[in-house]
Amino acid sequence: MATVHRADYDARVRGRQRQAPRMRSPVAPDGLDTLVEVETPEHVTFRVNVAGPSRRAVAYVLDLLIRGGVLFVVALVASMAGVDVEFDGWSTGVLLLVAFALEWGYYILFESLWSGQTPGKRAMSLRAVKDGGVPLTFLDVVLRNLLRGADWLPAFNVVALFVMAFDERFRRLGDLVAGTMVIAESRAHIGTALMVSPPLTAAELETIPASAHLSGAEMSALETFLRRLGTLSPARELELADMVAPMFARRLGVRYDDGVRFLAALFVRAGGQVAAAGGGAAAPVGARRRA
Amino acid sequence: MSGDHPLGQDAFVARRRARWQQLDQILAQRKALHELPPDLISTAGRLYRTVCADLMRARAAGYGRDIVEHLDQLAGRAHNRLYRASPYKISRLWDLLARGFPRTLRESWRFVAAAAALFVVPLVIGLLATWANPDLAAEVVPRGQLDMLAQSYAQGFSAGRSESADTSMAGFYVYNNVGIAFRVFATGIFFGLGSAFYLVSNGVMIGATLGYVIAAGAGRNILTFVMGHGAFELTALVISGAAGMRMGYALVRTEGRTRLGSLREEGPPVARLALGAAIMLGIAAVIEGYWSPSSVPDGVKWGTAGALWVLVMAYFAFAGRRVAAAPGGSR
Repeated sequence: MATVHRADYDARVRGRQRQAPRMRSPVAPDGLDTLVEVETPEHVTFRVNVAGPSRRAVAYVLDLLIRGGVLFVVALVASMAGVDVEFDGWSTGVLLLVAFALEWGYYILFESLWSGQTPGKRAMSLRAVKDGGVPLTFLDVVLRNLLRGADWLPAFNVVALFVMAFDERFRRLGDLVAGTMVIAESRAHIGTALMVSPPLTAAELETIPASAHLSGAEMSALETFLRRLGTLSPARELELADMVAPMFARRLGVRYDDGVRFLAALFVRAGGQVAAAGGGAAAPVGARRRA
Repeated sequence: MSGDHPLGQDAFVARRRARWQQLDQILAQRKALHELPPDLISTAGRLYRTVCADLMRARAAGYGRDIVEHLDQLAGRAHNRLYRASPYKISRLWDLLARGFPRTLRESWRFVAAAAALFVVPLVIGLLATWANPDLAAEVVPRGQLDMLAQSYAQGFSAGRSESADTSMAGFYVYNNVGIAFRVFATGIFFGLGSAFYLVSNGVMIGATLGYVIAAGAGRNILTFVMGHGAFELTALVISGAAGMRMGYALVRTEGRTRLGSLREEGPPVARLALGAAIMLGIAAVIEGYWSPSSVPDGVKWGTAGALWVLVMAYFAFAGRRVAAAPGGSR
């Protein structure tokens, strides 16, 4: 399956597109993130991050610098080779051809050869893909890049910015016509094993009844919270903990004095896994407030 | 892997992490996937499926967001590397020129007719008006440029031009004219208005220039110059406009689809038109740079121009009519 036949893939993708558009709302269930769900032929959905205007602007400027640099070097070579840079000459013709190729051909060349990436996009980990997450075809690449002529108007991509501001996937006109979007291929790093320090004492754990049972969503919310400890200010940690801790305390019929420690203990008693203490890396939980 | 006792997150990560890292390393390679050693390619495919399964599992088990996000992105990057666009074959281009482009052109004849009218009518009006009253031309084209043109065409072509000058002009025609045609097309996205505007304004300017030069007495020369490459250049400009208007019209008349859906449906045919026009403009630039200004006798130039017009029109009318085993078709 390593080299999937394109026609095969196309047929499958098209077949599904005909049934119903598979794109879900870009507003993912977990909030304000610019996530779009993509379903692959393997019937796996994964979420991709749509790239915003600022990141795309940086990529644009990088590409602009590269194009300008290439033109400059070509002009320099032409003039150093002793060819007259008068209007009446080979060098002018070649220079204009290079300028044309850089203005219109640069994006078409790179996005078709590098599967939706240009040097600028690659540097910013961006990639242009079809709305369904499928790679671009040559016609898509041509369309989205010819439309730069309209996106650029009246100057410096103002139309593009305006259109992107109104589109939930930050698409410019070229994207809308070609049915493409630009995604950010970032890498999230897996956090280290969850640790609570100083380690929960037996007494702390005792305060939670052994029968404590939490739903999966509650457990994952607690885990997300515990993993964020140390990245927040102690006051904020406490503030967040106190938003849910009373609810759990009431349900279990117990009392607590430190919401953060209470939630950590609850997480462990309800079956959550916490690594044995040891490393000094983990932030102290509640310790600073204890003194 | 028993279902009833879900694996804790950290245990899950510990068990799977090596595979994720392996895939990550393969993806980090700069080379395209198909250039890697065969065993690595198949490993990547296998790992990709594993990661997809892990992703579903992590999501179902409600593991932390960092894990799900990591797997999301890993699967996404692997997907984008595994499923690349089909390789580019020169036969595709031939297919476009032999069938796709002329067919789409005939299918969009209404837009071509409208674009031709928007271009030719202002051109004729501009020509007649400035012929009768040359001062009018200065309203649309700078007078200095007009005088320069009138002067250069008054000289005729007997002297010919140096090859280097030809090259510089060919470069200029590619840069300027193809660029204009692309803009004529692109601005069609504004409900076709941009294309219409550029067609009319180009028509007026070309007409006014022609009229002025004719009034100055160099009419024969400028027409001799223009006719040859005009067969490709003027038609391609009209086609670019037609493509832009077709694109804009998709936004107006949606036939029950969303505006975006309607636009997207029209994407491929419109792209074919724009691409075909671009190729024609490239041909026009070569003719305009090297042939049109040459010292070949006028009779030969007119004969060639006539032949080119017939050729182009015959191409539009007849190319790709036969229903060969044509993958891709006209739409």
